[in-house]
Formats: sequence, C-alpha cells, structure tokens
Amino acid sequence: MSTAPSTEAPGTPAPTATAVAPRRSGGGGGLGRYIVVRFLLIIPTIFILVTTVFVVMRATGDPITAALGGRLTPDQLQQRIHEAGYDRPILVQYVEYLGDLLHGDFGTTLSDNRPVTEVLTTFGTATLELAVYALIVAFLVGIPFGLLAASRRDRLPDAVLRVFAILCYATPVFFAGLLLKLVFSVSLGWFPVAGRASTGTEIELQTLDNPSGFYLIDAFRTGDPDAVGDVLMHAVLPAVALGLLTAGVFLRLVRTNVIGTLSTGYVTAARSRGVREGRLLRKHAWRPALIPIITVIGLQVALLLSGAVLTETTFEWKGLGFQLAHYLQARDFVAVQGIVVLIAVVVALTNFVVDVIAALIDPRVRY
Amino acid sequence: MVSVTRSGRRFAAATAGAAALALVLTACGGGSDDEGSSDGGSSGAPITIGTTDKITSLDPAGSYDNGSFAVMNQVYPFLMNTPYGSPDVEPDIAESAEFTSPTEYTVKLKAGLKWANGNALTSSDVKFSFDRMVKINDPNGPASLLYNLDSTEAPDDTTVVFHLKSADDQVFPQILSSPVGPIVDEDVFSPDAVTPDQEIVDGDAFAGQYAITSYKQNDLIAYEAYPGYKGLLGAPKTDKVNVKYYDEASNLKLDTQEGNVDVAFRSLSSTDIDDLRGNDKVKVVEGPGGETRYITFNFDTQPFGAKTDDADPAKALAVRQAVADLIDRDEIADQVYKGTYTPLYSFVPEGLTGATEPLKTMYGDGQGKPDADKAKSTLADAGVTSPVTLDLQYSNDHYGPSSADEYALIKDQLEKSGLFKVNLQTTEWVQYSKDRTADVYPAYQLGWFPDYSDADNYLTPFFLKENFLANHYDNKAVNDEILQQAVTKDPDARTKLIEKIQDDVAADLSTVPYLQGAQVAVVGKDVEGAKDTLDASFKFRYAALSKG
Repeated sequence: MSTAPSTEAPGTPAPTATAVAPRRSGGGGGLGRYIVVRFLLIIPTIFILVTTVFVVMRATGDPITAALGGRLTPDQLQQRIHEAGYDRPILVQYVEYLGDLLHGDFGTTLSDNRPVTEVLTTFGTATLELAVYALIVAFLVGIPFGLLAASRRDRLPDAVLRVFAILCYATPVFFAGLLLKLVFSVSLGWFPVAGRASTGTEIELQTLDNPSGFYLIDAFRTGDPDAVGDVLMHAVLPAVALGLLTAGVFLRLVRTNVIGTLSTGYVTAARSRGVREGRLLRKHAWRPALIPIITVIGLQVALLLSGAVLTETTFEWKGLGFQLAHYLQARDFVAVQGIVVLIAVVVALTNFVVDVIAALIDPRVRY
Repeated sequence: MVSVTRSGRRFAAATAGAAALALVLTACGGGSDDEGSSDGGSSGAPITIGTTDKITSLDPAGSYDNGSFAVMNQVYPFLMNTPYGSPDVEPDIAESAEFTSPTEYTVKLKAGLKWANGNALTSSDVKFSFDRMVKINDPNGPASLLYNLDSTEAPDDTTVVFHLKSADDQVFPQILSSPVGPIVDEDVFSPDAVTPDQEIVDGDAFAGQYAITSYKQNDLIAYEAYPGYKGLLGAPKTDKVNVKYYDEASNLKLDTQEGNVDVAFRSLSSTDIDDLRGNDKVKVVEGPGGETRYITFNFDTQPFGAKTDDADPAKALAVRQAVADLIDRDEIADQVYKGTYTPLYSFVPEGLTGATEPLKTMYGDGQGKPDADKAKSTLADAGVTSPVTLDLQYSNDHYGPSSADEYALIKDQLEKSGLFKVNLQTTEWVQYSKDRTADVYPAYQLGWFPDYSDADNYLTPFFLKENFLANHYDNKAVNDEILQQAVTKDPDARTKLIEKIQDDVAADLSTVPYLQGAQVAVVGKDVEGAKDTLDASFKFRYAALSKG
C-alpha cells in the first residue's frame, strides 16, 4: 500500500484509472479478483499461525505440570497428564484440535475451566474498548500535531514534534505505561493506579441486565455520572500509553502528506490566487493527507493488539492481552490458541477490509 | 475522490465528537469512591479486600489451589473445620463426628440446614459431594486426597457414614476440612463434570458464612453474609465484603496505601510489606504460616550419592549435615524476606500440633545459628575432601521474585566457609518440575503449602518410600512410624510419634527446611480482626474482619 502523497487535487480523475484499465481487461486483475485473492490469503495466514502456536505451546510444557508439578509424585503427575490426553501423539492432538476449531468449538480453558468463547467475548470487549480509546488518542494527538508540524516545516515546532513522534513510537509501550503511572497515579494522584473501574463501580456495572462488557456503555446505562467519570478516569492512562504508540506514526504520516500536498500544483495555484496559508491547510491540504492513515490502520490494529498485551498487563486492564499473559504462564494451550486465533482473525480481517478500501480509493494497489 | 472527501469530513466529525464526549464525560465524572458505592450492612461497613490469588474454579472438584480454596472457605459448608486460633478440627455444620468402627467415620448433621437458594442441605448433598469428587477426578482437582475413602453412605437425612479403606485413619477428619471437603448442592452441581462458576453463582449454591452476590472470575467478587449458616464459626462481623483480584502486587500495594483496599492479603512482596510497615495509614498484621521452603537432596545424584562414581552413604550424609550446619536462616529471613518468613528448624512448621525444632539443636551451633567449624569437622570425620562441589538448582518463576536473592545468599553462606563450591543454576518451573523427578538435580529448591493443618501433611507426602519428592530417600523405620501416626487414636501418643519422626528425619536430612512463611495481611487503621484469622489453620476468613 502506498503512503506517497497524491500529486493531484481532490476530485481530479486519477490517471491511474486509465493505467489500470488495460490490466483489468487483459489480465483479469479486476477488483473482484483482487478481493477474492486477498480474502483467500487469510486462510493460510491463520492456519500457519494456529499451527505454530499449537506446536510451540506443546513444546514448552503442559498445564498440569505447571500447576501441580510441586505437589504430586511423578507417577501421579503422569497419570493426570495421561487422563487429560496430553501424552498422545502431537499429530493426533493437532487433528482433533483442528476438527473442533472447524466446528466452532474453541474448547474450555484448562487453567480456570471457562469456555474459550466466553473468555473471548468477555475480555475481547475490554480490549476493543481500550483499542477504541487508544485510536481516539492517536487521532487527537497525531492529526493536529501532524498538521502543525507540516505548517511550521523545518522550524522549531516541527523539529520538536518530529522528535516527539519518534519518541512515541520508539518508546516501549510498557515503559511509557509505567512512566505515566508513576507520574500521574503515584506521584500526582490524578488517575487510578490500575483496573477498568473502581470496586464500587464494577459492582454497579455487574448488576446490569445483559451488560455489554464495554464499560463506558454500561456506565451510561446505569445513569450514574460518577460511574461514567470513574470509567473514563481509569481509561485515560492506558489509552494514552497505547495511543501514543500509534499517534507517533499518524503524526509523521500526516506531516509528510500535508507537506507533499502543500507543494502540489493546485495548492500553488490557490496560493497564487491569494488564499491564505491557514485556509490552504484547512481547506485543501489536510483532507487528502488523511487518506494514507486509512491504509495504515490495518497495520496499526496489529500494533495496538500487541501493545495491548503490555498495556493491559501494566494497568491490569483485564482484556485479552492481560489474559493471554496469564494463560501463557499457566501453559493453558486451549486458551492461548483461542485468543491467538481470534487476534489473527481480527488482524487479518482488518487488513483485508483496509486493503479493499485502499483498492477502492487508489486502483494502483490492484496488481 | 469525492467520496473520500466525504469520508474525511465524516471522519473528522466523528473524531471531534468522540473527543468532545470524552472531555465532557471526564469533566462531569469525579471518580467513584470504592467503599462509598456499596451500601453498609447492619454488621459494620463493607470491606474491600485485595489479593493476587487466582481462582481456577469455584467447583471443589475442579481446583486445587490457594486462590480457589480461599473462596470456598467463605461460601461452602464443611463437615469439619478449624475454629479461630486453632489448627485442630472440630465439627462445623455437623453436630458430631466420630469413628463408629475402625473403618467407619460417622457424621451427624445439624438439623434444618438450608442452602442460600432455599434447598435443604442434607446428608444426600454430602454423599453427592464426595461421590462426584471421586467420579470426576479432575486433573486440576484434589480427589487424590480421598485416597482412603472407599464409599459414602447417607442412611437418613442427617447421617453420613464414610467407609474407609484402612482402619483408624486419624487424618480423615482433617481431610474433611481440606480442599476436598466443601459440601455442594446436588440440585446445582453436575454429578459427573466440573460445574461452571457462573452456574454455581446463579444457583446461589452457598451455605457458608457468606454467599456470593456478584462474580467476575479473577476480577471481583461481592460477598454478602448468609444468615442460614449455623456452623462452628458463627456469624460474620461484616455483612458485605468485596474482593478485588490483582495481577501485580505493586498495584495492590499502591491501592492499599491509597485506601482503595482495606485489607491486602496474599501476596505483597516482602519489600512492599517492609515499606508499608512505616506507613501511618495501614497496619501490618502477621500470623503463623503453613508455607515452608527447603532444600531437597537427591540421594542418588548428590555428592557421594548412590549412583555417583564415588558413592558413599556416610560421606553423602556428611555433605547434607554440613549444609545444615552452614545455613543461616535468620540472615535469609531478615535480608531477603524482611521478616515475612521466619526461620524453620523442623519439617513440621511451628504452630501445628507436634511441631518441634530438632534441626536447631542437632546442627549449627545448637542455638539455631550456623557453625563453620562444626561443618568442617563433620566433613573431615567422614573423610570428605573440601571444598565439595554442589550443583544447586532453584526455580526462577515459581516461588516468587526473591528466589534469586534467596539462593544467592545460600550460595554465599555455603561458600564463605570454604567447604563448598556451589554451582547455582536456575530453570523455568515446568521444565524444573520434570527435571527434579528425573534425577537431574543433585540438590534443589522446593516449597510446600499444606492441604490441611496437620503434621501428617508435612510428613506423609515427603518421607514415605513413595513420596512426591522422588529423591530416593528410603528409611523403613521412618516409613513405618509415619504410617503408624496416621492410625494412632490417642492424641498424646500420636503427638509423641510425630515428634520422633521429626527427630529421625532430621538425622537423615532428606531435606533441609530453612524458612516458614508468615501469613501477612496489611490492613487499614480502622480494620480489626485480621489477627483472629491469621492462625495455624491457614484459612483466611473474611468473617473475622470488621471496619470502623
């Protein structure tokens, strides 16, 4: 996918359309074929990931030894492993697992006896909520600062913001999280240390009929402004820690694209007609500069999900990332496989959707 | 491209809207008070407890861990239980419990017992509970503790007869108070499978001091006093208790010192506890703990072990004795654990009936301190040339973050005498568990947390010929004594036997115990009662706590 700035004005018929047309008629490389190929590629991607996780998890031990290795005799331990079927040939276990997966049966976690589907829905909403907050932070920080940096190109604000952007995506997310927690929770006491809500609010949310698991929505449903405020206060630091990671990328992207757009012919023409720089930026430059952001959101989703593991652990945000770390430690094959499959599907589908959108926007990406 | 322009506009509008919403909501919300949101009960203000425990399952058949058992102790009835302040069991929801023949243990339930859901609690529930435990035999469950149970009978609504495989099993009453002992509601629990937590909560299948009113696994549990409990422990001092589950001890510590948590129990780090001792807002309350730490010797592969090239039982014993002479328990307890662990000089921890301190007098300076001269002469007398090379292994991820410091200090203590050259090695737990029973480690770290508060639980699993250590220790006299104590009906005679076993094992040194974990709770200044429940039963009961 291209992130190069467009050299044409918004609304200008793209010369690329005519460039692509002969390929479509000659080689069958139309949008439909592109979508089908992209969709089919999801299957091997997920298959490879599932297989890798399956093999790696079994190579690193079993959940029974992890839980009871310090209490049982070797014979008792072996008997339990045998009863659980973990001593069967790995191929047999793998085929059985794939069969269950194809039937939509993700199994039950080994370490805390919960249906994996329940784990995915319960904790998936928490992760989704955090990802949404993080994206909001990324947009709120990345886009305005990107515009500002572009409008002050090669001056002090630009230099400062470029360094800021590098710091944002170069700083490990757990370090940023710990730093934010140390300063704003421990030292200043402005925000809660950890969790998604205070104990009282959590209990209040649990009394709702059919809670969505999306705490902000549930807090609104309680009609209690304190609960809403409490949920938001708990979200601020995790959202900032995770959001800054993406904000740095957005900032650089917007800056580069706006600078590119400001040097295009139609902006030069507008400038020669006496349009002020501020208006040029607002009316002509920033909208096309946002297009590449759509194309990188797919990549950012993967980044956000991997960052969520560390962010959720740092802030005890009990989402999929938090649970994944817990289940990995417990060698809970079933849970880890279920979570990884879900993450793989989400990332693959997001990339698929983004690729399709990108292809619709810019036909040059259709090969 | 026009559509893109529209998209950009919609996107900008959505972003601005979300931002405005977040700001407005943040401004209007002032955060909710943890304690303030719950209504106070008639028996004192609600209490919030914080813990890093993990719950595997609320079903007793599906879990065998401290976190799950901690919940069960609050919500399920037991036939036998330990009263506050004692490690010895008494009837709980039972009126009486006794051996009616050498292989029959008969329990009479109190009349009129009910579950929180209104179901009658009868002997049929008891029979159901033990039958399903044996039938399910879950790999994560404690069914193996029922090794001596042959069958369970319920001749009438209030009578239960346990038929035992071997006669006069004095440990059986303790087993009834262990993780295998919670009684469950036969109308809610599955007879042949582990029941999901939510089904248990929805079925209100509780009859202990508390019932669970709200449950989110490993996140938050809300308890409310159950007035139908008629057992040994009495009514709770506090009607409402909330337990918040943390992953990181550091977050638990911060919330404790901020007052968001009234009671922090299991497991703050020793450094955090030491830090909180100086905090005016909290009190650090301690009690005897059942957790022990010890070095295990593999009798085949330790220096001069039975399967080494220079095998010599006398020299091997001298090596173990020298280690026991050199370990400075006070130094480890103070420097590494800041007093949250205490020196342990026996195999049965202090506080339990029959516990003695044979290692204090037999090794070191006879007062519990190390003695390098004695170790030197022990090795010399046995003809062992020093320094002895000792490969010592510990787990870096199972016994807490201080294990590395703990074993670095032990290495230092052994080496500074000039008698040992210690090769300290560490392995991740799952591999460690396999290696230690495959004779890979000549000497290695282990810890133990009891299933029940009886000396037997610190002897039988360790020093019978077939033991979980799998370290090839085999002393027929000790083996027979351990089997004998388990069936000795006279309490005094049994205690004497337990004392003798400790002396005999101390002479053999299959393991060298060195630390006993204290139970530590950090509580707010206005919280009372923690001391009452930090006893040698090792069961932390929320019902003992009160606030304000």
